[in-house]
Amino acid sequence: MRIKTLLILFCLVLPQISLADGPPKSLNSPEGVSAISPGSELWRAVRQRDGEVLEGVSQVKSVDSGMLINARGDQWARFRISKLTTYGGIAIAAVFVIVILLYVVRGKIPIEGGLSGRMVRRFTDYERIVHWTLAIVFLFLTITGLILLLGKPLLIPLFGKEVFSVFASASKEGHNLFGPLFLVSLIMIFLSFARRNIYEKGDLTWLLKGGGIIGDGHVSGGFFNMGEKTWYWMVILIGFAIAISGLILVSPVFGQGRWIMELSHVIHTIGALILITVSIGHMYLGSIGSEGAMEGMKSGYVDINWADAHHDRWGKKCHDENLIISAEEYARLQGRKPDDTAELATEQGK
Amino acid sequence: MIEYLIDGPLWYFSLAVFVIGVLWQLGSIVFAGRKGDLSVARGNATSSGFKNIFSRFIPHREIAPQIGVQVVAGYLFHLGLFALLFFAAPHVLFLEENLLGFGWTPMPHWAFIMASQAAFLGLIILWVRRMTNPVSRLISTLDDHIVAILTFVVMLTGCLALLEGFNALRLLHRFTVELWLIYFPFSALMHTFTFIPSRAFTGAWFGRRGIDA
Repeated sequence: MRIKTLLILFCLVLPQISLADGPPKSLNSPEGVSAISPGSELWRAVRQRDGEVLEGVSQVKSVDSGMLINARGDQWARFRISKLTTYGGIAIAAVFVIVILLYVVRGKIPIEGGLSGRMVRRFTDYERIVHWTLAIVFLFLTITGLILLLGKPLLIPLFGKEVFSVFASASKEGHNLFGPLFLVSLIMIFLSFARRNIYEKGDLTWLLKGGGIIGDGHVSGGFFNMGEKTWYWMVILIGFAIAISGLILVSPVFGQGRWIMELSHVIHTIGALILITVSIGHMYLGSIGSEGAMEGMKSGYVDINWADAHHDRWGKKCHDENLIISAEEYARLQGRKPDDTAELATEQGK
Repeated sequence: MIEYLIDGPLWYFSLAVFVIGVLWQLGSIVFAGRKGDLSVARGNATSSGFKNIFSRFIPHREIAPQIGVQVVAGYLFHLGLFALLFFAAPHVLFLEENLLGFGWTPMPHWAFIMASQAAFLGLIILWVRRMTNPVSRLISTLDDHIVAILTFVVMLTGCLALLEGFNALRLLHRFTVELWLIYFPFSALMHTFTFIPSRAFTGAWFGRRGIDA
């Protein structure tokens, strides 16, 4: 009712304003004094500048249909453009720079004692399938998601608006389609690895010593060390938050209003940015950053010296239970000839 | 120019290669000719062949635990792709307007989305398994990888064009489909047409000798 009254008032006053000579004069103007435009009062109310949420009446029956202008939507849009996009882009670029610097300064972290060629089974076929399925889906969602988030400031200057609109449309469709696959992969990852990622005694020491960065000497670790466990739970918890908020965004048919959608978007984007930045470090350490690490997810086997160096408690168990196989046996399991062991060792070191 | 090429000559060329290639391949199998089996039949070849077509849909109990992931992913991919190919609304419309002259009821949008997600998940898992399992990796040829990647790209470009608002995305999808059609007869994709006769032949061959295939 209040909006309706104000609108009628606005319509009555509008001709008066348009017929006035020049712009209204300020109260402090030396030329004279003028009244405050009634239009500004109206729009202040409509835009809800005073913080009061006005709900009108509309023939359209749906969530938020009585809201003439959604002031929170403006706040969300400003936050997305000025904060999320800017700081998200900076964070990703910063992590890339850190990883490159780390590689330049430290290079590939070698295994103490080098590669022995004797191997131990670390992951089953199913565990590796689950890991790589999640990785492929995650990479696809990262690329399409970043095009949607950073495409406007980064791609429009390069390709123009028309080409970007094609990219954006394709990315949106692909992102929405692959989103539920991320949830399925996440459930598979949770069921496969949860038990071995429960925190245990000794993990805190690993954390306090920064995984070996702080102080001298080696930090003891089990099958998964504290860093890997923390990454795992980040993937699970933040991943579920991303997946659920994504489902809310992609299915606006369950009565969720704009506020829920905006909140979901912020959670979705911040969560994704955290996972993307940390995953860059994970990919670096799992491949070119650490000698022998990639082999675990490639063939399922790791060198026993690698196990002793990075996961000594698990390595000891492998020694005690006699789970180590010879280089020849490993070559046979990989379908190579026994004399291919040197070649395998070279590949493993990459 | 590109639009004309993709919608016109390349489309007819790829369709011709597909139809002639598939017929040629099937004909070469059917008319290959082989010596008659002179041995005394110990079982019924026809019924065994027929039975084998269907029994192979379920893995043998002895090996089921080892290939569980492969079987589930295989069904997800193939059923999803079949549904997409023949029951997605844009495909039904395309077939009606360009090839058949008649159409059928397409599946609803939500089913289309779920079918494509099942197909994508299945294909990704199957390809990852091919790469991670030492035996699968060893017996895989370059053709197997090309087939998997090409099929993935065709499905992906189709899903990226889901909005149907950009001609460039439609053309990209159609172009990848044309590449897929051209490659089809010369690749492992031929199993689409050969898996039934292959199963029947294997079943009949063993059945005649009294062996349960």
